Amino acid sequence: MSAVTVQRANRTGNFWRIFFVGGLISYRALFYWITPWQYIPTMLAAPLFQILFFVYLGRATGVGSTTFFVVGNSIQICSMSGIYGMTMALANERQFQTLSPILATPANRIALFLGRGLPVLVSGLQTTAFGFLVSALILNFRPSPKALPELALTVLVSTASCTGFGMALGSLGLRARDIWLTANIAYFAMLLLCGVEVPLHQLPGVLQVVAHVLPLTHGIAAGRLLASGHHLGAAWPYIWEELGIGVAWAVIAFLLFRYFEREGRRTGSFDRL
Amino acid sequence: MSLVQFNRTLYRSGPAALSWPRQVRAGWWYQLKMQAQSGFVVMVSLVQPLIFASIAMADQQAGNRTLPLLYYALGAGIMGIWSTVVFGCGGALSWQRHQGMLEPLVMVPAPLVVVLLGITLGTASVGLYSMGATLLWGWLVFGAHIHLVDPLAFVLAAVVMIVALGLLGLVMGSSFVLYRNADALSNALEYPVWLVCGLVVPLSLLPGWTHYLAYILAPTWGIESMRSAALGGDPWVAMLWCVVASLVYLGLGIVLVGNVERLARAHATLNFQ
Repeated sequence: MSAVTVQRANRTGNFWRIFFVGGLISYRALFYWITPWQYIPTMLAAPLFQILFFVYLGRATGVGSTTFFVVGNSIQICSMSGIYGMTMALANERQFQTLSPILATPANRIALFLGRGLPVLVSGLQTTAFGFLVSALILNFRPSPKALPELALTVLVSTASCTGFGMALGSLGLRARDIWLTANIAYFAMLLLCGVEVPLHQLPGVLQVVAHVLPLTHGIAAGRLLASGHHLGAAWPYIWEELGIGVAWAVIAFLLFRYFEREGRRTGSFDRL
Repeated sequence: MSLVQFNRTLYRSGPAALSWPRQVRAGWWYQLKMQAQSGFVVMVSLVQPLIFASIAMADQQAGNRTLPLLYYALGAGIMGIWSTVVFGCGGALSWQRHQGMLEPLVMVPAPLVVVLLGITLGTASVGLYSMGATLLWGWLVFGAHIHLVDPLAFVLAAVVMIVALGLLGLVMGSSFVLYRNADALSNALEYPVWLVCGLVVPLSLLPGWTHYLAYILAPTWGIESMRSAALGGDPWVAMLWCVVASLVYLGLGIVLVGNVERLARAHATLNFQ
């Protein structure tokens, strides 16, 4: 085996080590709600009550079926992890003053960046799965068993897409003074803009345009089609759009990350809070 | 000697209890000014209620039920007040301890409950922003007809409810302090109270057992009283129940704050972080 091949193998090994091990360690270190005392009330109970609240609001206003609100909210609650978790995974490095040492390492930036998204993605999937499960138990939500794998695929794509959006917010946190305010507003604005609680056609034109570039909008539309008995072919265009939007947000996020890294080096702003 | 000067002299030279109202008022005003500077509070008491008001009113316009827009505008306003209380008061004691302020506050001659009362009433009063904001938003954006049948009773109901929520905040602050993850508990308590108290969903739509919970929570009586004053009906009975609830919260708050103070002194955890 030549020296070049060994070097290349080492580099690949390092990439995956940083991606998986580094991602997991950063999640354990930076995700504030990881202990059961935080995780259960924040990542499970609050999203569950969100689903119940909007299902009953839907019944009070007579605007949509239980399925409409269960699917919309169960998919949207993945952003508890996608937005807040991803913001913590990136911006907390700065809060805890560990950003400079990390960016001083020669670690592959793509592995460093994307690796943080994987545990957040898994956590988002857990929250959404919990939302669907409890809705099935107490709200009589009954999608066809045949639709379940297709619904799972939609949820996976939507959660990944939301994680990409969260990465962009987290990257802004490398520079912004109060990224939590932005993250909070983003979370609640998504309830209004992504067709979670209000049918999209009910929104003014400008807001509809915004909705189409946000994550979850298309994923939720696909999820609703699948849950109401449509076949996968009808939902594919939405799933592809959701995937495309997620990739676009992840690319924007990485570019922002590199830009703020360069700016941080130039202006020495990594540890400035 | 003017009346104001006379009062000042009386407060300063009379029994300690005479100065309590002044201490509550000073704490209330200081807290009000401090909270108004916080980005998070502005988000919780302005941005978030506007988003929820928009969702509820857009659903009302899209749906086939006929509850008036004012019904939802009022409900969303009180939702904002509750959010301010649950986050601001729930962690009030914990926050003072975290900031190293609990020790000096316990040390001052005024009883701790009087000091905390100013803080929790001030926090609840900040929530009034959300009431004004949602009413204005409903009128400007959704064309809600803002006509109050009995404006005087409406203002009185709002004041009674703010006091009731401030006192409930005192109970929460003194019980949450025993729980290390009070912020997580606050996260989980936002939606259930919005739902159970019938802020935007009529109580008649909820399961019967939830009504018992609703009856012991001041927001139920507060919204009932304000809606009756705004839309027509008898606001006085609900207002009276709100006053009764306030007195119960005050009694509970005095006992709980005393208990917390005793435990914190005994275990030397006034400055424990």
